[in-house]
Amino acid sequence: MRGTTRTIALALSLAVFAGGVGSALAETTLEKIARTETLIIGTRTGSPPFAYVNSKNEWVGFSIDLVEQLVLPELAKKLGKPIALVKKESTPPTRIPLLTSNAVDLIAGTMTDTRARRDSVDFSITFFVTGAQFLVKKGSPIKGIKNIDGKRIAAQQGSTNAKIIRERAPKAQLREFPDQPAAFQALVQGQVDAYTNDGIQLAGLKQKAPNSAQWEIVGDFYSYEPYGMAMRRNESDFRAVVNNGLMEGIESGKFFEIYDKWFGPKGELPYPMSAAVRQFMLYQVMPK
Amino acid sequence: MNYQFKWSVLWTGQSGEWLLSGLVVTLELSALAWLLAVGLGIASGALRTVPFLPLRVLATAYVEFFRNVPLLVWMFFWYFAVPPLLPASMREFLLAHSLEFWAAVFALGVYSGARFSEVLRAGIQSIPRTQMEASVASGLTTGQAYRYVILPVALRLIIPPATNESVNLLKNSSVALTISVAELTFQTRQIETYTAKAVEAFTAGTVIYLVLCVCLAAIMGWVERRTAIPGLIAAGGRRSP
Repeated sequence: MRGTTRTIALALSLAVFAGGVGSALAETTLEKIARTETLIIGTRTGSPPFAYVNSKNEWVGFSIDLVEQLVLPELAKKLGKPIALVKKESTPPTRIPLLTSNAVDLIAGTMTDTRARRDSVDFSITFFVTGAQFLVKKGSPIKGIKNIDGKRIAAQQGSTNAKIIRERAPKAQLREFPDQPAAFQALVQGQVDAYTNDGIQLAGLKQKAPNSAQWEIVGDFYSYEPYGMAMRRNESDFRAVVNNGLMEGIESGKFFEIYDKWFGPKGELPYPMSAAVRQFMLYQVMPK
Repeated sequence: MNYQFKWSVLWTGQSGEWLLSGLVVTLELSALAWLLAVGLGIASGALRTVPFLPLRVLATAYVEFFRNVPLLVWMFFWYFAVPPLLPASMREFLLAHSLEFWAAVFALGVYSGARFSEVLRAGIQSIPRTQMEASVASGLTTGQAYRYVILPVALRLIIPPATNESVNLLKNSSVALTISVAELTFQTRQIETYTAKAVEAFTAGTVIYLVLCVCLAAIMGWVERRTAIPGLIAAGGRRSP
């Protein structure tokens, strides 16, 4: 909703901007952060528990905590001065343009690392692993990607899920919404039969929904969605800082503490980390 | 900033197909909404000037209510709030036949109608009162006076501002993507999703909108010249090229 007007504004400014891009001042991300003493991240407002506005009206979440507690200290250490954090709303269709136009320096939300996206942006190491499923009303005949032919399926615009549905279930009637609240509203009202998104996001949505028991998450993961933080391409200095922050966190156990805060048994959304995923996280840490 | 342009994303893969289908949806949506808007605009614009208070109040209420609420809200209103009020069979029928498209047509048409209405009212009120008095004196009823004297002149007078509103309507059709209508802006985003080349995709969209709007202005300009009444103020000034 809020994203729409922004995208339109962005499209216009980008079109005007397009001419001057080549000659734009070459300042690295680290230089920019050092000069402004702020790190601007693009994140979400409606994707609990990764990044959302909670009932106390605070903008919080797992991804935001990772930046605040792991990346920011590493950045301050590298630059030798405290760095402030500024959060901006970014949606799947706007996040890459926001990055490339320098409006934000880092995307920390729910962005899946894909090879196609690596042509445009660089990714940090993976900080979360999930896969796409369906949210349906209890008792729905939909049980997974195999039986959605002819059904109206809501997805989020610009997400990897929509792309996969289009390829693997071309007979499904895909309806793409700019943000999660609109897509969920369409499901609540029966405008669509199911809403597909990454399993963990559906779990977050279900938990926060009124009449939570009325909804059901179905189907095996039909995609692999490793979440990473995205940044402008060819900024290896900056990427090293982000990765070092995350690796330090995984190594010291801080990362798992933050994970537990959000996904632990007493967390915002209980979603225990499997042994395999834990091992995968540890293997991502390069030796000192 | 080190953005690497790759314009070929616009003609490789399915991009062309997507842009074309988006263009068709944008044109269909805009054309249907335009017809609705013009119909509502003429009716309510004329009613706002009639010498009968309840009708004036009704038309004023329509205009103020619909033009003062953001278009985005109207999109959600027609898509989310209206269907539950319909009988179940009709609702099922609509769901199976692009409910989102028709919701967008109504949202855009009814909203723009309120704006067209004000344009027409301005046109009618710029016609000297004596025209109405002369019509009535020569034996026409109020309805006939509007039909044969006032509206034909007013509609000619308002072509330039109506062009403006039409261009607005065409561009406003992009808001329909919020209720999942796959129009032109939606498709440019689609290209962005698949190729991650935002600047190229948005530039293509921008150019298409620009061409559409310039064509629309040219058509309206042609209509203006074709229908001009020699000697009337509307045709007296220097025309734009």
